Amino acid sequence: MDPLKPIRNSVGKKLWKQVEELEPSFKKDGMLHSLHSTFDAFKTFLFVPPTVTSKGAHIRDAIDLKRTMFLVIIAMIPALLHGIFNVGHLHYVANGMYPHFFDGFGPKLVYGLIHVLPIVIVSYVVGLGIEFAFAQFRGHPVNEGFLVSGMLIPLVMPPDIPLWMVALATAFSVIIVKEAFGGTGMNILNVALTARVFIFFAYPTYISGDQVWIAGLPESPDAFSGATVLGVWAKQGYDAMSHVGFSTVSQQVGYTPMDMFLGFIPGSIGETSKLAILLGAVFLIWTGIGSWRIMLSVFVGAFLMGLILNAAALGFDLSNPHLAVPAYYHLLAGGLAFGAVFMATDPVTATQTTTGKYIYGLLVGMISILIRVLNPAYPEGVMLAILFMNVFAPLIDHMVIQSNIKRRLARG
Amino acid sequence: MEYINIFIKASFVENMVLSFFLGMCSFLAISKKVKTAVGLGAAVVFVLTMTVPINWLISNYLLSENGIFHTDLTFLKLIIYIAVIAAMVQLVEMVVERFSPALYSALGIFLPLITVNCSILGGALFMDSREYELGEAAVFGFGSGFGFFLAIVAIAAIREKLRYSNIPAPLRGLGIAFIITGLMGLAFMSFIGIKL
Repeated sequence: MDPLKPIRNSVGKKLWKQVEELEPSFKKDGMLHSLHSTFDAFKTFLFVPPTVTSKGAHIRDAIDLKRTMFLVIIAMIPALLHGIFNVGHLHYVANGMYPHFFDGFGPKLVYGLIHVLPIVIVSYVVGLGIEFAFAQFRGHPVNEGFLVSGMLIPLVMPPDIPLWMVALATAFSVIIVKEAFGGTGMNILNVALTARVFIFFAYPTYISGDQVWIAGLPESPDAFSGATVLGVWAKQGYDAMSHVGFSTVSQQVGYTPMDMFLGFIPGSIGETSKLAILLGAVFLIWTGIGSWRIMLSVFVGAFLMGLILNAAALGFDLSNPHLAVPAYYHLLAGGLAFGAVFMATDPVTATQTTTGKYIYGLLVGMISILIRVLNPAYPEGVMLAILFMNVFAPLIDHMVIQSNIKRRLARG
Repeated sequence: MEYINIFIKASFVENMVLSFFLGMCSFLAISKKVKTAVGLGAAVVFVLTMTVPINWLISNYLLSENGIFHTDLTFLKLIIYIAVIAAMVQLVEMVVERFSPALYSALGIFLPLITVNCSILGGALFMDSREYELGEAAVFGFGSGFGFFLAIVAIAAIREKLRYSNIPAPLRGLGIAFIITGLMGLAFMSFIGIKL
């Protein structure tokens, strides 16, 4: 097949010519041979590889790893844009300026960009740098896996996180969790999630509490609080959320379920807006990339566990105010939706079998709410629940496959 | 409620392998296949469930000053604990050899070596230092064993999956197993602090 055939415009043709001219110096005897995997990465980034299979299974689909990754990034764009605006919005509201949504749209956007873009850039530069270095040293083509992780990492960070922490966490998770296991598609834990867990355990004060979720809180920090919905539930019970939320220079602002859905509330950059995440989820399911089975069963599991705990609240003591939070509130709070849509559906670390996906999702949802409510040390449990189930995903698959084998043997 | 708390604490929060790093030798050596891991895990569950309450009885009725000998014999504790554990392991060994010769040969030397598996002696000594009642000791023994079982079966499934991975040559085998153990410990940290 002539690789130029599908390229109709002149820019594409010129670019292809350029690539072809450069190619010889990266070949076996060329002087830049040591950088051939880097070259290869950019070449396949620009053009569909013209490889034609001659035997075996012929895959006639335009989708490959790179395109899959790009579709996931597109699905994350609503959450990212919302996150950028929300960072600016909350900053100005907390400081008593532009209290209404559409006031000061420009300044809010600029403020958000200034805070969010550096995190995105650091995460990509560090992650891709390590990825390229490993590809050169080990002599395999550069894997595209980090394209998605590099966008997920900023979305699960608080807006004021120091950049060196982002760099350290990214380096840890790319090297230890991914490259040590052989690179993209072979890791057992979700890379972006491990980066967050790393910061969570290593520098807990930068990623939990009431002060980190709004960028640039006003001076005299004691007077101001930017508690997340979950923070309020854990400390004051869920009744309090209608009037105790985050404080601005003039008043206390409470949260309603609608706020939690639209997402103009404190939280990690990408997790607050359930609407934006829903858009991403629809896109992922429509393109067939995200598993709807996992998404659905995470929500079902969380809801069931919420109901169980509500029943427990009626039956036993009420010393833990968190027990009485209505089950459907749990679905809107914190990072459950973000985790269910973007983290739990990671095709590498989740279960592969159909039955396994239901089991995995249900357990992720249930353990999330269990940790959220029963563990006073951690107000948010989604990230830890997904990590925990990542560890058990191979075992679930193993059991599903074994029981399948047994059933078929019995059938004869 | 108290029993459930002890069970959850022993199996998840203070997992023998993943938070105390006890019993690593058999944990790393027998975790290449799920089938043998299940066998070893079950053996550990049985031995821990039996030995912790038996050792409780011995330590409270024979070795303590209020026991039948009216003398403080606690200096014999370690030897007697190990003797009880060894007897239990012999029992398990005979049963496994009789009913599943394949598993017996797969476990090899590591089956009798459960005797000196630190997580089992550790179970008995934790029972001592935490001053459990008899019922609590039994639940604690079973919980610890269950935690070991869960951990070894999970790592075995992971290592079976990793056979298809392109792991850097210096890390293959034990190296990556140690890294997985550390990462599993990270995942198990999610339960620290849970109280019912």
